[in-house]
Amino acid sequence: MGTNSTGMMMISSSLSTSSASTSTWASTTSVSASGKRIQREMAELNMDPPPNCSAGPKGDNLYHWVATIIGPSGTPYQGGIYFLDITFPSDYPFKPPKVVFKTRIYHCNVDSTGNVSLEILKDSWSPALTITKVLLAIRSIFTNPDPYNPLVSGIALLYMTDRAKHDELAAEWTLRFAK
Amino acid sequence: MRMSKTPERTVHCARRFYENLVPSCTIYDVECPDHLFRKFTDDGQYLVCFSRNHQELIVYRPTWLSFSCKEEDCDNHDLPTKAKRFDSFFTQLYCVSLASTNELICKDFFLYMESNQFGLFATSTAQIHDAPAVGGAIQGVPSIEKITFHLLRLEDGIVLDEKVFHDDFVNLAHNMGVFLYDDLLAIVSIRYQTIHILQIRDSGNLVDVRAIGAFCREDDELFLNSNAQSMASHQLPENLVENGLHHNQFTSENTFLSGIKQRLLSFIFRGLWNDETDHLRAQHLKKKFYFHFQDYLDLIIWKVQFLDRHHLLIKFGSVDGGVSRSADNHPAFFAVYNMETTEIVAFYQNSADELYLMFEQFCDHFHATSRNSLYMNFISSHSNNVHAREQLRSVKDKTSSSSQFVKKMLASLPISCQLQSPSPYFDQSLYRFDEKLISATDRHRQSSDHPIKFILRRKPYTLRFKIKPGPEGGTIDNRAKKISSFLFHPSLPLALSIQQTLFLQPSAVNVHFRR
Repeated sequence: MGTNSTGMMMISSSLSTSSASTSTWASTTSVSASGKRIQREMAELNMDPPPNCSAGPKGDNLYHWVATIIGPSGTPYQGGIYFLDITFPSDYPFKPPKVVFKTRIYHCNVDSTGNVSLEILKDSWSPALTITKVLLAIRSIFTNPDPYNPLVSGIALLYMTDRAKHDELAAEWTLRFAK
Repeated sequence: MRMSKTPERTVHCARRFYENLVPSCTIYDVECPDHLFRKFTDDGQYLVCFSRNHQELIVYRPTWLSFSCKEEDCDNHDLPTKAKRFDSFFTQLYCVSLASTNELICKDFFLYMESNQFGLFATSTAQIHDAPAVGGAIQGVPSIEKITFHLLRLEDGIVLDEKVFHDDFVNLAHNMGVFLYDDLLAIVSIRYQTIHILQIRDSGNLVDVRAIGAFCREDDELFLNSNAQSMASHQLPENLVENGLHHNQFTSENTFLSGIKQRLLSFIFRGLWNDETDHLRAQHLKKKFYFHFQDYLDLIIWKVQFLDRHHLLIKFGSVDGGVSRSADNHPAFFAVYNMETTEIVAFYQNSADELYLMFEQFCDHFHATSRNSLYMNFISSHSNNVHAREQLRSVKDKTSSSSQFVKKMLASLPISCQLQSPSPYFDQSLYRFDEKLISATDRHRQSSDHPIKFILRRKPYTLRFKIKPGPEGGTIDNRAKKISSFLFHPSLPLALSIQQTLFLQPSAVNVHFRR
């Protein structure tokens, strides 16, 4: 029936007032080094976004982003749209951002509340990494799950022992929860 | 019916009889029981009333006045006093109590399932306004301890089934929170953001079909739970510890998008993603999408209607607008949702010209409450009636802001179920009348002492009959504000007007009929 891009354009005028309230804790740090760094990464991401990925600040809070990853074709996540919350710490880039799935996913590296286990978001984090790299890393676990460092071992086990069954279940989850 | 080319045309011709058969005779302040007169069912079989104390349902069968006159020239005689009574027109079928210890009948709620002659009624406890938002409830939405829907067989008043909601909020005023389409019932829990789809079986059972909200498909939750069990049984100890840490820190904010929000957001996102003709524009739109992401998350389901057996029209808005009565100033959105495929089909803002144009042209599709209800086709709308359309155009031409006009028109969507009278006297191709004083829409109106005129649309364009609520000579105290409501029989030249002053006095009921 309708096109939704028009709906999108119009939401801005009517909802812009309500988003002002979300900005409270970003304003004080907006001139800080972390803020400048995030802004630079945002420009970089917009210039050259990784395939099937997109991200941007939620409201006018530079430290709280939303990312979208389109389930890559050829994987059981194909056809899914995955939303993720990204929270930057105030001492970014010295500490890694926190990434949480807001869309349910059947994946051995994502736990039942949406937390992602990714080496570069923990011990292997380096201030040289950027949000573009993080998105690329998350996107890569869609195509190559890491069953040797699982968050949900049941899924990891199934991935290694019965790949067909694993993929079937993952596709079912995509259909039910990520469409 | 079969004699002419189309049945509709025949009915249109038949309805012309109503230019001659009119409820022009009035019995003022008729002697009648002090009930809350609710509605004639759309098939004219029943007059539904509630007792003043909101505890009992009283159902009457409309009958036709009969009395004998032995003299010559009977037509010129006044009605005998014995005939000028409520009982002459209505026979009580039964009176049943629906209320329980703390629950009272919601007088503004009643739905009728014509095919089975079932009636759906609601009783509830008092509304708590500052209820704490527990167990996933929405902050700022009131709570009702208990809401019970009663399915009755109207023929004999037997209660067939009940459906109870605890600590929930369903907007029962003017049937707003419930929509009946054929045998499918949609009940909107505003407090828990769930659209409950039920089926009314011929056997008289209310059966849960699905719940749309946190999940989309009826077995999503079951699927998730059975999966979670198999996943957890293999969980490694060290990971559990790690997870535990995460849990303590983040449980409060780590919640997945609800099923319906995931569908909505992915629909919007897909539209942006596929619309990438102009790189800069696409980037700008995506930026906007993320900027407003939280606002989308904060939208709540306000109201729902069926468009057909599979599609729902869902109105989303802010919490404030969902509870308050005048929601005009709040931003609102409409989504068309296919509950079988669990897909959002379309999404519009409440100022969308595209949706308005559809509403203007295909208004009747929004008003359909069944695949095959003939009488609904005769409720005048700007889509099926030239006079209603002209009226709409003139309002449209007068408004300075087109977007304000669109918003105002779309404010009636989703429509409230069964709030319009199918009486032929409201057919705008037959009669002209002041819509401020009376219309097919069932609602209370401020009343004046002047009679309401029904003027013929066709030659000789004359006054055909008048409906005057209240006492014959007007009320003594003219300062008192008077409220009137009108119940028109769907096919007989018979109507009730009920006038009430705001001071708990018994209402003045007039019977309008054809002698």
